[in-house]
Amino acid sequence: MRRSTALLFFRRMRVPLIVLISAYSIATVGFTLMPGTDADGNPWRMSVFEAFYVVSYTGSTIGFGEVPYEFSKAQRLWTMVSIYLTVIAWLFSIGSIISLMQDPAFSQALRGARFRRAVRNYDQPFYLLCGFGDTGRLLARSLSELRHPVVVIDDAPEKIDALSVETHRFPIHGYCMDARLPENLISAGLQSRWCAGVLAATANDQVNLKVAVTARLINQRTAVYARADEKSVADNMRSFDTAHVVTPTDEFVRRLRLLLTRPHAYRLYQWLHSPPGSPIPALPDPPSGRWVLCGFGRFGRSVYRLLRELKIDVKVIEENIDLPGLPEGAIGGRGTQAETLREAGIEEAVGILATTRDDVDNLSIVITARELNDGLFSAVLANQWSSEPLFRAAEPDFLAQPGELIAGTIVSHIRSPLLSHLFRRLDEVEDAVAARILERIAPDPDQAETPEQPELFTVRLSKKRAPALHWLKEQGFGIDVSLFQRHPGRPGEKVPVEVLMLTRGDDDQLLPDAATRLESGDRLLVACPPALVRRMQSLLENEAAAYRALTGDELQQGWLLKKLVGERPARS
Amino acid sequence: MNMSKVIFGFFVLLALTLNFGFFLGEIDNPDHHNVYELFAALVVGLIATIMKLGERSQMSAMLLASSLVVDLQLLAAVSVWVLSVHVFDIGLTPGVMASVVSLSGGALLANLLSVVLLTMETAGLSR
Repeated sequence: MRRSTALLFFRRMRVPLIVLISAYSIATVGFTLMPGTDADGNPWRMSVFEAFYVVSYTGSTIGFGEVPYEFSKAQRLWTMVSIYLTVIAWLFSIGSIISLMQDPAFSQALRGARFRRAVRNYDQPFYLLCGFGDTGRLLARSLSELRHPVVVIDDAPEKIDALSVETHRFPIHGYCMDARLPENLISAGLQSRWCAGVLAATANDQVNLKVAVTARLINQRTAVYARADEKSVADNMRSFDTAHVVTPTDEFVRRLRLLLTRPHAYRLYQWLHSPPGSPIPALPDPPSGRWVLCGFGRFGRSVYRLLRELKIDVKVIEENIDLPGLPEGAIGGRGTQAETLREAGIEEAVGILATTRDDVDNLSIVITARELNDGLFSAVLANQWSSEPLFRAAEPDFLAQPGELIAGTIVSHIRSPLLSHLFRRLDEVEDAVAARILERIAPDPDQAETPEQPELFTVRLSKKRAPALHWLKEQGFGIDVSLFQRHPGRPGEKVPVEVLMLTRGDDDQLLPDAATRLESGDRLLVACPPALVRRMQSLLENEAAAYRALTGDELQQGWLLKKLVGERPARS
Repeated sequence: MNMSKVIFGFFVLLALTLNFGFFLGEIDNPDHHNVYELFAALVVGLIATIMKLGERSQMSAMLLASSLVVDLQLLAAVSVWVLSVHVFDIGLTPGVMASVVSLSGGALLANLLSVVLLTMETAGLSR
């Protein structure tokens, strides 16, 4: 059902308008009936036109006086009647308009109409984000930084209200409604041809599942990214072709595993999977020895499994000692007290992991543990995004915030779907490759000022995705990887664009050699500085730019020029 | 019986009858056409328009359209009257009267359509 604000307005204004018209017509007719005299004392009555003129200026309280002739007693009597009549009618109508404007239902309808109009008027790809909590906020901000408009829906009005006072690089339109209802998703632009992706990022798994299913069914072309806390829900989502499902615990474990086993890959992964503007983490140096794990909730359990898998000795501290599945030798307590930590052998341990559900406890655990043992490696979970600054101040070696984990991972997938491919491949090769990649895209990662995250492109050598390169190939030119590093304007100059991976069929090549020939159907993961994005795009889409980059010559374009100069002979 | 339907029907019908009353008579004879009747026809026509605003059925869209035509025609008739009598001081010559009455005749047709549509809608409802 489409709610029209104009219809609502007129229906509510019906009575005031009729009252107004009636008052005016009564006053007008009355004036024409009142006997009066003209300037010479002859009997005279107003015509309808003159009467309406008098009523118009008295009704609006302007009051020009008695025109065209001085009024008789009868006319003055009627003037009084008409003044009260019309002024009261006006007050009534204006009061109705004001109360209508203040009516929550009406202003809601008005905002809804404005929102739908804004969504309808998009002429570039936008993302539909459901849920505006910690994760949603980070996602919206990151996408806006990446120059994507975002449409946000959430059922908490205060969150949407907060959105309207924030400033963003790219417009974020928010509207308060229930994401579970398909019709709401549709009015938020799910069916729009510009809807590039749907992000289900609420804190409720069932809602996320519903959104993912709805998006999949209603718009097959859009990509769906969803958060799922429970494994069963995540599996369910994957079963119907959701582009990417993020489980906070899995993501936490994934990063921790990289940190413990592949420090360089960890660094690259953490940087590329964080919201824009995040710093490159320092190269971790995880010690070997016994760890103390505080909290055996959802995160603690996964971490325990990981540590056991990596054959790392671990002592668990958990408040609820009767928890099923708790390993033998677990110590009861919250881990915030020194005695409990000592009991767990913190003095001989090499690392502390604080993963309880309470942020204050987590902080306290890390601080207390470090007081007891100076050289501890600390990894900590910050449940709430709002408490993250506190955690940063405590300077743990590894800090994870679920909202950031989810947002960072989803955004990196949006930036380039090949990125997950890259990291899967990196798992198979030695860690030094990751170090080389990081060196290429951030030549000096340890400098004080954080280098800007590179823009990641997935280039597919096809007629549709890279028409200019396809055209060059058709003309018989050979294209190799080094083409991406040539500057079209200044021949001979190199630009800092890196091809990180070349995918051909099932074969992936990390950091392909500059002389590698490219073939149709190849997929490339290209990292380029944000300032060079336009150049990259013109290289892919503009034949003249691609030609210039490859040969250093100008391409003669246009029918007339081609006729005059003749088409350039193809070189092979 | 629905009171709001009665009021609605009353105004639509009254707009037609007043309009017809004004239209009746020799086309160029000012004595046959009363200014109050024209005024009343216009006011009732306006009220009928407002009552039709905010309805959402297909029939009511047509009703609203015909009502807007009535208002436009009657306003044109009133303007001709006011301009010739009060602004240009031509007076109610047969020519002026004829154009006023013929404009109101157009309004009469639209009013008639309104009533027919309303009757059709009511008939459709009762079935």
